[in-house]
Amino acid sequence: MKRLNNYRITFLLAALLISSAAHSQDSISKQPLLDVVYFSYNNSIPYVQVMARLKQGRKFDPVKGVTLKVYLDSISSSSLMTDKAVTDETGKADAAMPPSLQKEWNASAKHTFIAEASGVKEFEGEKAVTEVTKARLLIDTATVSETKNITATFLALENGKWTPIKDADVKIMIKRLGGNLTVGDEATYTTDSSGTVTAEFKRDSIPGDANGNIVIIAKVEDNDTYGNLSVEKTAKWGAPLTYDSTFNDRSLFGTRDKAPIWLLLMAYLIIGIVWGTLAYLVFQIFKIKKLGRRVV
Amino acid sequence: MDTTIRLTEEQISRDLYPQKFGIRGKIWVAILVAICLIGAFAYYLQLKEGLVVTHMRDYVSWGIYISNFVFFVAISLVGSLITAIFRLSNVRWSTPLTRIAEIIAVSAIVFASIIIVVDMGRPERFLNLLLHGRIQSPITWDVIVIGTYFFISLLLLYLPLMPDLRILNRDPQKNPRLLNRLYRFGGSFWKGTKEQFKVSNRAITILCIIIIPVAFCIHTVTSWLFATTYRPGWDSTNFGAYFVSGAFLVGAGGVVVAMYVFRKSYHLEKYITVLHFEKMGRIVVLLALLYLYFNVNEYLVPAFKMKKPEEQHLTQLFAGEFAPIFWFAILIGMIIPIFILIFKKGRKPLPMFIAGVMIVIGAWFKRYLIVTPTLLHPFLPMNDVPQSYKHYFPSWQEWAIAMGSLAGALLIITFFARVYPIIPIQETINEQNEKAEQL
Amino acid sequence: MANDNNVNATSKSRREFIAAGLLAGLVAGCGSHTDPFTPGEDQSVAASGEKVKLLSVDGEVIEVDKAFLKPVPETQHFTNSEERKGIPGKKFVMVIDLSRCKNLKKCQAACDHMHHIPPEQNWIKVYPMKDAAHDASYWQPTTCMHCDNPPCVKVCPVDATFKRQDGIVLIDSDRCIGCRFCMAACPYSTRVFNWGEPDLPEDIAKMDYSCETSIPQKKGTVGKCDFCPDMTRMGMLPHCVSACPNGVFFFGDLNEDSVTNGSETFRFSDLIRDKAGYRLMEDLGTKPSVYYLPPVNRNFPFESGLENEKNDTK
Repeated sequence: MKRLNNYRITFLLAALLISSAAHSQDSISKQPLLDVVYFSYNNSIPYVQVMARLKQGRKFDPVKGVTLKVYLDSISSSSLMTDKAVTDETGKADAAMPPSLQKEWNASAKHTFIAEASGVKEFEGEKAVTEVTKARLLIDTATVSETKNITATFLALENGKWTPIKDADVKIMIKRLGGNLTVGDEATYTTDSSGTVTAEFKRDSIPGDANGNIVIIAKVEDNDTYGNLSVEKTAKWGAPLTYDSTFNDRSLFGTRDKAPIWLLLMAYLIIGIVWGTLAYLVFQIFKIKKLGRRVV
Repeated sequence: MDTTIRLTEEQISRDLYPQKFGIRGKIWVAILVAICLIGAFAYYLQLKEGLVVTHMRDYVSWGIYISNFVFFVAISLVGSLITAIFRLSNVRWSTPLTRIAEIIAVSAIVFASIIIVVDMGRPERFLNLLLHGRIQSPITWDVIVIGTYFFISLLLLYLPLMPDLRILNRDPQKNPRLLNRLYRFGGSFWKGTKEQFKVSNRAITILCIIIIPVAFCIHTVTSWLFATTYRPGWDSTNFGAYFVSGAFLVGAGGVVVAMYVFRKSYHLEKYITVLHFEKMGRIVVLLALLYLYFNVNEYLVPAFKMKKPEEQHLTQLFAGEFAPIFWFAILIGMIIPIFILIFKKGRKPLPMFIAGVMIVIGAWFKRYLIVTPTLLHPFLPMNDVPQSYKHYFPSWQEWAIAMGSLAGALLIITFFARVYPIIPIQETINEQNEKAEQL
Repeated sequence: MANDNNVNATSKSRREFIAAGLLAGLVAGCGSHTDPFTPGEDQSVAASGEKVKLLSVDGEVIEVDKAFLKPVPETQHFTNSEERKGIPGKKFVMVIDLSRCKNLKKCQAACDHMHHIPPEQNWIKVYPMKDAAHDASYWQPTTCMHCDNPPCVKVCPVDATFKRQDGIVLIDSDRCIGCRFCMAACPYSTRVFNWGEPDLPEDIAKMDYSCETSIPQKKGTVGKCDFCPDMTRMGMLPHCVSACPNGVFFFGDLNEDSVTNGSETFRFSDLIRDKAGYRLMEDLGTKPSVYYLPPVNRNFPFESGLENEKNDTK
C-alpha cells in the first residue's frame, strides 16, 4: 500500500514537473541561445562560429546584430580573438585567429573558446564556451584494380604527437552545389584503430567539370572533442561535363538581338513594303502641292 | 426618287457644308465632355495610386481596359471596309459614307492607343517599347500595325479631303477664324487641276489597296494577343478570322448608327438616302451571318470535345456565371439584328438604327466575354489568394475611364463633323455630274 | 611574454582585427578558390592585393587575400547585363516530393519574408490537387517553373523578363512596363502583379533593384519566384528549400546531376527514375525545370494539411 502511494506521489510529481515544463515552453518568454562551434577547413585556417538564436516555445529565431567578443582560453585583452564580430541575418558570426595569439595557440593541444555577447537586449552579458582539441583530417584517393577508394585519416594532437582517433564518425562525400552526395550507399563511416576509414566510390559517371574532375570531401561534423573538420581532394573520377546551352541560339524566347532569322525577314519585309509605299504616297502629296503652286 | 433630282453644285456645297451646333449638338458635346473629364479624373487617381484602383487582380489581370481596346480596334476596321473595299469595287453609292467610316476608324484607333497606355502599369516607360522592343513579341507587332494603320487612315482621310478644303476656303467669311486657318493649312495648294486629280486619285487607289491587308493584320495581330497563350477560350486557331469578321460587323453597325444620326442632325436626307440604308442593311446581314458562322465554329467545336481546361470555361459561358451576358451578346449582337434586317421593312432608317445600336452594344459585351471569363478559369485552381481575387467586377474608376474613352471617341467624331464636311462635297458633285452625263 | 603579446597586439594594424571581424565564413570563399567546377570564377572575385594575416592550425601565420574571404552579401554587386547572362555552366533544377508535403506553408512564409512580399502575393502557392474524380487529393507546392521554352519570355515586348544561361527566368522591374502579357501567357499562374505601391520598409524601398534578389518590388511591375540566384551564388539553397521542415523541396544543378534539400542529397537522374518524377503540364511543351515526385506512400494524410488553409474573407 505504502509503495503504491509512493508511486502515486512520484507519478503526480512527475506529471506536475512535465506539465510545468511544457507550460514554460508554451509561454511567450524568449530564451537567448548562444552557441560556439569550432571549424577547421582543409587543415589550414581554424575559426569559430558563434550563433545567436532566440528560443520561443519550439521555434528558434536567428538574431541579427549581436556584437561578440571571442576569446582564446581566457577572458582577457591579450587573448582576444576579435571584438568586432556581429551576427548577420542567419544569426551567425565567424572569428578567426589573429597572428598575435600565435604563442598561446601553439602552447597546448587543448583550447577553450569563449564568446561574450552584447548589443542586443536579450543577449547582454550572455556567454558561451566550447572546448576543442586540435585535430587533423587527411584524405587520399586511390584506384585499386578497378575499385576507386577514398581513405580518410583522423588524427589528434596528443603530447605533441599526432595520434589516430578511434571510433569517430567521418563522412565522405562528393562536393555538390548546396549539399554533398554520398560516394556509395553510406554517408558516415567509423574510424578503425588506426584512425582510418575507407570508402568505395560507387558513383560512376557522375558529372564533374569539363575535365572530369570532382571534389571529394571528408568531414567530421559536430564532434564533442574535436569540433568540425573538413578536408577536400580533387579526383578525376567524374564524367567530363558537356552541356548544351540554348542561351546563344536564336529563338522566340531569346533577347531582342537573338530573334529568329525567319521572323526578322518576314517582319522587316512587310514593314519595308508597307512603309515604303506610304513614303511614296507622302511624296505624292508633296507633288500635288508642287502642282498646285504651278497654277497661279 | 432622290437620284433623279439633279442638285446644283451650289446646293450640294450648301447642304454638305459643316454646320454649327444647335442646342441638341451643344448638349451632346457637353455630356461627352463631362464623361471625358470624369474619366480623366479617374485616370489621375489611377496614376497616383497605381492599378490597384481597378478591380483587376492577379487572376483577372486583364479587364475592361483590354476589352475596350479590342472593341476599338474592331471598330476601326470599318475604314478599310467601307472606304477601301467599296472604292476599289467601284461601289458608287458608298461615296457619302466613306468619310464617316474613315473618321470612325481614325478616332477608334486613337482611343485604342490611349486605352492601352491607360492599362499599362508603368505608362512612363512607354519608350521602352521602342528602345528595347522585342520583335518576337505579339505586342510589338500590335504596336507596329496599329501605328501603320493609324497613319494610313489619316492619309485616307486627308487625301479625299483636299478638294473639299478648297470649297471650304472659297468663302472665308462663312467660317470662324480658327477654322479658316485649319482649312488653309491642309488645302491651300489644291487647285483642282486635272494633274492634281490624277495624282490624288492614283494615290487614293494605292492607299485603298494597301489598307486592306494592314486592316486584316491589325485585328489578326490583336487576336494573337490571346491566341498565342495556352488558356481555354483563347487557345484557338480560329481567332484571327473570328476577330476580323466580328470587326467588320461592329464597324458596319457603327457606320449605320452614324449614318442615321448625321442624317437626322444635319438634314442630309437627300444624300444619305433610304437606298443607302437598304444597301447597308444587306451588307450588315451578310456580315452578321458570317460572324455567327465563326461563333459557331469557335464554341461548338470545343464544346463537342469538352477538354478539361475548356469544360469549366464553356459551361460557365453557356449555362453558368456568364450565361446571361453570353446569350445577351449573341442574341442582341447578332441574331435579332439578322432577323430585323432580313426583311425589307427592317432595312428602313429607324429599324436599322436600332439594329446598329444593338450590334454595337452586343459587340462590346462580346469583347468583355472574350477577355475576362478565360482568366477566371486558369489551369491550376485559384488558391492562396484573397477572396476578392476570384471575382471581377470593374471599379467605378475603371467604368469612368472606359466610358471616358468611348465618349472621347465620339467627341472626336463630333468635332470632326463640325470642322469638316462629313460627306465629301467634291466627290458628291463629281458623281452628280457623272450621272448626268450618263443619262 | 604576455607583455610582448600585448605590445604585438596593440601595434598590429587595426585592419587585422577588422578583417577578422569581417569574416563571414571562410569555407565558401576558399572553396570557390579551389572549386574545379567553375570554368570562370562564378564568385567573380578578383584578388584585391590586400592581404590579411591569420593563424593556421599548425600555428603558422598565413596570408590570405582579403578578397577571397567570403564577401559580405551587401558588397556582392553584379551589373544588369551580368544578371541577365547568369551563372555559366549551371542549369538549375528543382524536385518537389509530393509525398512529403503537409501544407505547412513554411516555404511560402520564408519566401514572402525574405523577398518582402505581402501575403496576397505569394510567389509559392500550395494547391490542393485532385486530378480525376476518383483520385486522392494531395498538396502541390508550385514555384515558377523556369521553363526552357518559356511562354512568358516569348511575349514580353521590352525584354523585361528573360531567360539566363543557367536556366533561371528573371524579371527586371526597372524595365517592365506593366502590360501583364506575361501573366496572361503563363499557364502555371505563377506571376503576380504589384497593383499598388508595395509596402516595404524604407531602407529596402530605397535600394537599387537587383534582378537576382528581386528586391525591392516596384509598383506597376510583375513579380515571381526567382530560384534565389543570390543564394546559389553563395553556395546556399533557395529559401523555400531550407525552410521546409519536411524536406519537400530539392534543389540542384542538372549539370552536376545532384539535388539536395539541405539534409539529403540524391543523384537527380536516380531520383527521377526511381520515383517516377514528372513535370506539370508536360504536353504544353513549356519544358519546365521543376520536377514532381508523385505522392506515393505519403508521410501525411491530405486532411492534415487542411487546418492550414486560410479562409480569406477579404
